[in-house]
Amino acid sequence: MLKSKLTFVTAALLFIALIFTLFPVFWLVSTAIKPPIDWNASPAIWVPKEPTIINFKTLFAPEAIRAYGVGGVSQAATKAVLGSILASVVATFISVSLGLISAIGLSRYSQSTWATPLIILSGRMFPPAAIAVPFVIVFSMTALMDTFTGLIAIYVAVTLPFSTWMLKSFIDELPREIEEAAMLDGKSRIAAHFTVTLPLVKGGLFATTMLVFILNWSEYMFAQVLSNTRLSTIPVQLAKYVTATAGTLYGVQAALAVLAMAPLILGGYFIQGHLARGMTFGAIKK
Amino acid sequence: MSSLAASAPLDIQEPAEGQRPSLSSSEPNLRKPPGHQGRFFTVPGQIVSLIVLITPLLVALYMSFTDWSPTRSSLKAAAFVGLENYKELLIYDNRFLEAILRTLLLALICLSLEFVLGLSLAVLFLRNFRGKSFLFSAFLTPMMVLPVVVGYTFWMLFQSNGPINQILTLIGLGAIEWFKSPALAFSAVVITEVWHWTPLFFLILLSGLNNVPENPIRAAVILGASPRRLFWKVVFPMLRPVITVAFVIRAMEIIKIFDEVFLLTRGGPGSSTESISLYIYKLAFNDFQLAYGAAAAFIVLTASLIMVHFLLMPVREQLLDKGR
Repeated sequence: MLKSKLTFVTAALLFIALIFTLFPVFWLVSTAIKPPIDWNASPAIWVPKEPTIINFKTLFAPEAIRAYGVGGVSQAATKAVLGSILASVVATFISVSLGLISAIGLSRYSQSTWATPLIILSGRMFPPAAIAVPFVIVFSMTALMDTFTGLIAIYVAVTLPFSTWMLKSFIDELPREIEEAAMLDGKSRIAAHFTVTLPLVKGGLFATTMLVFILNWSEYMFAQVLSNTRLSTIPVQLAKYVTATAGTLYGVQAALAVLAMAPLILGGYFIQGHLARGMTFGAIKK
Repeated sequence: MSSLAASAPLDIQEPAEGQRPSLSSSEPNLRKPPGHQGRFFTVPGQIVSLIVLITPLLVALYMSFTDWSPTRSSLKAAAFVGLENYKELLIYDNRFLEAILRTLLLALICLSLEFVLGLSLAVLFLRNFRGKSFLFSAFLTPMMVLPVVVGYTFWMLFQSNGPINQILTLIGLGAIEWFKSPALAFSAVVITEVWHWTPLFFLILLSGLNNVPENPIRAAVILGASPRRLFWKVVFPMLRPVITVAFVIRAMEIIKIFDEVFLLTRGGPGSSTESISLYIYKLAFNDFQLAYGAAAAFIVLTASLIMVHFLLMPVREQLLDKGR
């Protein structure tokens, strides 16, 4: 494309867009470091005069906030944070592993007659609410309610199309000839997939893992309907603060939200170059 | 890269396009066509999908023909009512039909706004300026934020004593009770959704703009095309496939919208901002009308499948392309 310089007007437009984009994030972070008295002040306080980390402390030691004369935090968020890590990491690992095998199959052996990938893909379109109902019914029959096994099973099934398609698009870019060269060296076809192709799609594998992790980490509804006493994840805990004691715990909620968001923004930054491909199921390569 | 060095003999033999059975029939590995063993590669994934997704769907399908509610009886004891639930939903349940229409309206409004804003931003990014890569990352940030967090954050922003009202007061428009009127609550959802997902349009459209070939543009410039004509007559038509992908992907996502609405308005006031996902959720998990909810879910699933079929038609080639 033809390049030109920024004029004053375009620079101003960019600046306004930047403010609009970053303001909510700024507000969230600023709320997370507000002492209780500033949480819901009228008029709202933009930048706290005395920033504090009490909200973050309260997440893991609920009594800490009492020093400020605020009650109502009964439960530490520790369980939710650990729960999110457990469910997201395990589900992402299984989903990407299965996805990798399926992707090799689809990319290297595909005969268009039996590969009906669009059906798999459509799975992404089902409103979660629509599949949450059947899940709850079957899970309550099989004692999978309120268990990590149940939640992880759902996460794997829901993200599998995603990991399969993204990895397939990376593997498709490598010519089959490089595997055949290895086969001339005496390797089996399957060994060739894993010793030749796999190392070459390392970057794609990392990006896929990161994106699937983001999906699992962000998921709310399934965790919400499955969880009762044993199971908890960050989004569930976050929404709990809103319903149970809305209006009083802004800062603590915001602190948890910041903790939940930070790894994704960081991770997203690392896979920026693969983001377009990931979000479009490989329809856009770069 | 010993494998690349070893690929030399293949070039001499001029492999036939796409298939290569006759390459070197003396090699036992290559002689076998890569046909049947490949089927097993997708088996684990398919088993998982089958057990985890299909089984519950079948149970729910059966259930949708009964009058079961867990507060009244066991599923076995529930009476079979045939298509009663479906009839009720499609003919008498205005809340259901309104939720469907509302979700489609939300999709239409949000996608239009996201497209216009995303395209404008992407066009600005065609220029050279300092700090461009920082700004690029900054503009993608909203996409990384968890939907629940987005919902919660905007709920704070739209509070009657929140910062948005503060700004509105400052510029003389006065504070607004965002969540008390249906139209304003709906606008709040739209603003939230546009903030969250405009970056995706920006990302996709920018990658499309950057891949537009330069020669037609050079030619148009030499022929004296104005920048405006250049954009609309030369660049825009070449962008069309990318635009289609962006719309299709976003349409697939937005009709599922739940988290943001749930945390922002809970569907209120009344049921005036209820999306279809939120309505089904409330049916099943607040009112415990599981059978009725399952029927609603199946109607939405069927409609989604049909819609996805038509939505994917224009991008089928791009998705199925073998990537060569």
